[in-house]
Amino acid sequence: MNIDLPHSLRARLLWFLFAAIILTAIAQAVIAYRTALAEANEIFDYQMQQMALSLRPGLPVSSELADRFITNEDENFDFVVQVWTADGRRVFQSTELAEMPQRSPLGFSSVDARGTTYRLFSVASGKQLIQVAQDLAARRELAGTLALRTAGPILVMVPLLMFLVWWVVSTSLAPVTRVRKQIAAREVDALTEVSEQGLPDEIRPLVQELNLLFHRMRQAFDAQKNFVADAAHELRSPLAALKLQVEGLRRAHSDAGRELAVSRLSSGIERSSRLVEQLLVLARHQANTAAATGNTLVDLAQAARLAMADVGTAAQTRGIKLSLVQACECRVSGQEEALRILLRNLLDNAIKYTPLGGQVRLTLLHDEGRAAVVQVDDSGPGIPEEDWKRVLDRFYRVTGAEGGGSGLGLAIVKAIADFHGAEIAMGRSTGLGGLCATATFRPGK
Amino acid sequence: MRLLLVEDDLMIGESVLDLLRDEAYAVDWVKDGEMAHTALGTQSYDLVLLDLGLPKRDGLAILRALRARKDRTPVLITTARDSVGQRIEGLDAGADDYIVKPYDLDELLARIRALVRRAAGRAEPVYTYLGVSIDPATREVSAHGQPVVLSSREWALLQLLLARPGAIFSRKQLEEKLYSWKDEVSSNAIEVYIHGLRKKLGNGLIQNIRGVGYMIPTVEP
Repeated sequence: MNIDLPHSLRARLLWFLFAAIILTAIAQAVIAYRTALAEANEIFDYQMQQMALSLRPGLPVSSELADRFITNEDENFDFVVQVWTADGRRVFQSTELAEMPQRSPLGFSSVDARGTTYRLFSVASGKQLIQVAQDLAARRELAGTLALRTAGPILVMVPLLMFLVWWVVSTSLAPVTRVRKQIAAREVDALTEVSEQGLPDEIRPLVQELNLLFHRMRQAFDAQKNFVADAAHELRSPLAALKLQVEGLRRAHSDAGRELAVSRLSSGIERSSRLVEQLLVLARHQANTAAATGNTLVDLAQAARLAMADVGTAAQTRGIKLSLVQACECRVSGQEEALRILLRNLLDNAIKYTPLGGQVRLTLLHDEGRAAVVQVDDSGPGIPEEDWKRVLDRFYRVTGAEGGGSGLGLAIVKAIADFHGAEIAMGRSTGLGGLCATATFRPGK
Repeated sequence: MRLLLVEDDLMIGESVLDLLRDEAYAVDWVKDGEMAHTALGTQSYDLVLLDLGLPKRDGLAILRALRARKDRTPVLITTARDSVGQRIEGLDAGADDYIVKPYDLDELLARIRALVRRAAGRAEPVYTYLGVSIDPATREVSAHGQPVVLSSREWALLQLLLARPGAIFSRKQLEEKLYSWKDEVSSNAIEVYIHGLRKKLGNGLIQNIRGVGYMIPTVEP
């Protein structure tokens, strides 16, 4: 049997408790009635017996005795007494309304007469047969009265109990209602925490987790806002340059001047495009933390070769020797394109900040914990230790560095590394003396 | 006029440099805070165009140091920092004006003219003296009502002299005002320009004080 339970905890509690109370009350009433009935039977049987036995010495047919019986109407037990002689003559009859058959077994028996059932007690006394009978209806009536008296208070208690239960359930669930109202009353986009005051143990963990979620969402939104603000700010300089370069083109008064102005304008547009491109890459990889869609098993050596091909021309222009050392079969779970960008940006960085004719080496290896490690060493001047952490920030450029980069290359590396659960660290290159940038992936990935 | 351009962005710097030179300013360009500090310590300028986000030393720190030694060179801050708080900070640190990137070049030039004008103690943009009238905004020159065409350097020289009547400028001083440190100056360049100006505007305008320098005389009241 499928009962469709109400969805409200409160309704469910009340429904079940009320049902329990009512069922208990009914059971109580029924039991009381049956007990009372059994008691009444015993008492009346005993009385009938006693009455019959007390008549045994002989019953003179005297009217006073008969009258006495008949006038006991207020008790109304409906006892009927009949006395028969041995020869079948009814000597006494307490009431004319009921007649018992003469033939009846001695002791207790039941007789159906006049549309109802009588309990009959017969005892023989010398030459006489004494019968005492009682309408069972009378017994049931008495039993009913007694039961009512017992169960009555309970029936009065039921509404009280139900009210009490309703009140207790309501006040116990009040904190839940309060939390619901609190959350419903907030502004649409408010992410402030919900108060945990006075909450029952069952609800508090839920609200705590909710508050943690709000906190994380706030952080994500703030990071998003900061990103947009930073990006807008950083676009100002490239745009200012474009404005000035157009002005230069407008004022050019010779072919050579115009040529120069156009080439400057081209470079300016190139730079702006690159910045926008990098911002998009960064935004895309920052948004997907912990999203595991579309992950494949990526061969780091393959990604490394692609990245090296990407930066080959730049290395060649600066006369930088680019090499790959593969000391493992490194495979990690992730996205091939993103890992290629990560490797390319690390190489790009190394090439840019290494003087002409220097060296850049990309190494793939396993560390002691069987974690895949990518290491880029260069023979450049390196980065001062206090900048090792800051250099991964958006738009951070090491002071005094040449380059004219956007400051986003390493921020992108960090975003992609975070996405893959990898750690980025800067250090001093023991091999080549410059910067050593390492990306350590999680073992078993 | 000799200007110091402090700007670390290469593309902006090279464009501004050429555009200002086209406007007959002599411009020195430094790309970081340290070099700016050195330049300000060794050379006097008519105006400084100061970017704030500089490597090696922050622009505001340089400005504060400049004002701390009572240097009154006009400073125009050009920066991408645009919030009101940042503008207030810049102006209160001693800047005379504040312009936010990206800016319109013509506006920059107008603001430069305004600051140079004030620094010379003048208020009127067009100035007329001894029959010669010059308009720095348009670089139009007229002598006694007739328009005159001057070369870039002649213009710069005339503007210098006309801005401070009664002040004597030595040849060296004039060279410093007309050339940036990257320019090669031939030893008689100034004489050539003075000669050109006298020819176009009349002999009485520019006086040569022997052994000292050149000046435009003050008008006898």
